[in-house]
Amino acid sequence: MKYARSVLFKALRLLTLVGACTALSSHADDYTDVSTLLRANKFPEAMTKVEGLLTTKPADPQLRFLKGVIQRNLGKPAEAIVTFTKLTEDHPELPEPYNNLAVLYAGQGDYDKARVALEMAIRTNPSYATAHENIGDVYARLASQAYNKALQLDNSNPAVPPKLALIRELFKPNLANAGPAAGTAVAAAAVKPAPAPAPAPSSKPVASVASAPASVATPVKPAVPVVAAAAPIAAKPAPAPVDDEAAKSAEAAVLAWAKAWANKDMANYLAAYGPEFTPGGKQSRSAWEKDRRDRIVGKSRISVTLSDLNVKVSGKEAVVKFYQAYKADALSISSRKTLTLQHNGKRWLITRESTGN
Amino acid sequence: MTFFFRLVLATLTAALSLSTGAAQTDTKPGIKKNRPKPAPVAAVAAPAKSSPQGAAEARLIAIYRLIGQGNTLSALRQSEQLVKDYPEFALAQLVFGDLLTARTRPIQEFGNVSPEQRKSGSATLSDLKNESLLRLKALRERPPAGSVPAEFLQLSPRNKHAIAIDASRARLYLFENRANGMTLVADYYITVGKLGLEKQVEGDQRTPLGVYFITSQLDPKSLKDFYGAGALPINYPNMLDLKRGKTGGGIWLHGTPPGQFARAPLASDGCVVLANPDLTHLIRTVQIRSTPVLISNQLKWVPPPSLQPRSQEFTKHLNAWLEAKSSGNMAKLSAFYAPDFNNSGKTLSQWLPTLQREVAATQGLTLQIKDLSLLHWKDANETMVVTFGEVATGRRSGLTKRQYWSRQGQQWKIFYEGVV
Repeated sequence: MKYARSVLFKALRLLTLVGACTALSSHADDYTDVSTLLRANKFPEAMTKVEGLLTTKPADPQLRFLKGVIQRNLGKPAEAIVTFTKLTEDHPELPEPYNNLAVLYAGQGDYDKARVALEMAIRTNPSYATAHENIGDVYARLASQAYNKALQLDNSNPAVPPKLALIRELFKPNLANAGPAAGTAVAAAAVKPAPAPAPAPSSKPVASVASAPASVATPVKPAVPVVAAAAPIAAKPAPAPVDDEAAKSAEAAVLAWAKAWANKDMANYLAAYGPEFTPGGKQSRSAWEKDRRDRIVGKSRISVTLSDLNVKVSGKEAVVKFYQAYKADALSISSRKTLTLQHNGKRWLITRESTGN
Repeated sequence: MTFFFRLVLATLTAALSLSTGAAQTDTKPGIKKNRPKPAPVAAVAAPAKSSPQGAAEARLIAIYRLIGQGNTLSALRQSEQLVKDYPEFALAQLVFGDLLTARTRPIQEFGNVSPEQRKSGSATLSDLKNESLLRLKALRERPPAGSVPAEFLQLSPRNKHAIAIDASRARLYLFENRANGMTLVADYYITVGKLGLEKQVEGDQRTPLGVYFITSQLDPKSLKDFYGAGALPINYPNMLDLKRGKTGGGIWLHGTPPGQFARAPLASDGCVVLANPDLTHLIRTVQIRSTPVLISNQLKWVPPPSLQPRSQEFTKHLNAWLEAKSSGNMAKLSAFYAPDFNNSGKTLSQWLPTLQREVAATQGLTLQIKDLSLLHWKDANETMVVTFGEVATGRRSGLTKRQYWSRQGQQWKIFYEGVV
């Protein structure tokens, strides 16, 4: 029953997207234009463009979604909230607007509302990974607030601000350049794990996370940015002495994992996780695997771009931190991620996956 | 998730499996009390200003029970509602925090706060853990059905209510004196003195032990915010305390300050502190002057019939005193009074003329005792606090008297007597 329902939701969502895409395939370039402007942080120009497009297609969910993202980036959270709220009213089947609403509420410190919105996103799409990740952070914030009340501590206690920033970062919504043309073009591109002549385990961060993809974005060939985005990792010279073979192999394992994910290569993707890996929440391993399979295989295209990798190896354990730009179908989410890996004697296997620093 | 489940079973424990009622509700006459049913899920209950049954606590216990059943999602929903209704209920906030945390990672222990929070709030955290354990313990280990504290030897119809405090359980029990006997109608979590019990001197931050009466009711408007919804002072130091040279005063049952739903188990300067809704219910329910307040380290619960022999035994002494007084034989009568008798500073020899005048006033009339109440306090000594109406035959009314009798071997002697 539950399964049937989620299938139904997926079908609905798919229909909407297909509908939008079919109707607007001629406008695919328009989406791309808006996305490109967005990524180049040219928000007023992006807004002008999107508003122009909306005069002819006022109901278009993609455009309205973009508009919400732009409003947020223009520092107009109240307007963005209105845009996303209306979008959830007209398209309750889409989880992304709920997710972004949650981001905005969280940005205002209203974790209760953020939580409700994320619960709606998850109800809409039970396997929506971003909402699951976000709600985890919101729960943690709410728990911290409750604990402060319980212990009668000042709620503005110093532990709070960094976490808040973390959430903002994590929540940064970026709409991918959608459209079937772009989709097919990018489909197989995914991450090139790059032969990595000298991977930089303790490299300094790429100048700015947000600007990294923007700097390489080329409006003409949507396939390029994805591939190119991976290049900086490989190309970056290692200022510090290269750690050792262990760090290199751990990094290679992480890149292979990202590649398998982007290629929807479920066998290799799932094989990247060790037997010790326990999924978050109350999911069993098998439920999690099924979840991942549904979520990954169901996407028409996925790209996963890693940057700013930081590898720390101690003995049989490696902790790899990086910035992950994830794009799937209509949405792209950037976040920091940490993978903990264990070496089983033959290879590195993921034992823990967490979002955030 | 499972960690949290285990934790509750381990630390908060058997209360859950025992499924005792959060508050005893079965008080119908003549019905044998069975183990109370689990408290109903109370998500619907709006926060009342007065809580006859400790509504907030009942809801907290219902949440513990849900956790014990592994139903953490319902527990989360209900704790969310509970903290919405009682945002100052710190223990509820702690449980809410744990249930939220449990959605993201396993809970290591009850009150799974961050290291920073632990650092700045460790004392509060351990107080909350104690509060939780005490609340659960009091609800798990219920007084046997129909039983009463042994100190309530006999209560008169004029004692419409009685209060008994078990400090070891941080619990106040409220009784109603019904036609069929004393009935436990509610019980509440309480706070006692920072430094514990057995108050001796002024400022020792201890709560007195003994049998007292509510003397008045203080309007919260006339009080500092600190006392919350109001106050019911008790008559500490009582005549026994004074005889023992105890000092201090101003021992009240009072509410909690703004920002605090409940206080830690040991936190007052000697007063007994209740949550404001509980205190409000108490204020609305009990009578001034005629409501006894028993404060004990650990109450001993007995079936009421087991008290009869002792009550009858003492009543013999009281009747002998009454007979002596009716007879007007001062020599015989004065033998009932202890050498260290004291009435507001009057020694026995100073007080006997007063007694004599009283006797003269009712000369020739047989005296009767009405509405007798006997409160029996045992520590190193044995004391009987006796309250009754003394009415001469043919008269319609008389004075309400209170005597403190002290046991001396087989004898009982009066060491205080006065009009209430």
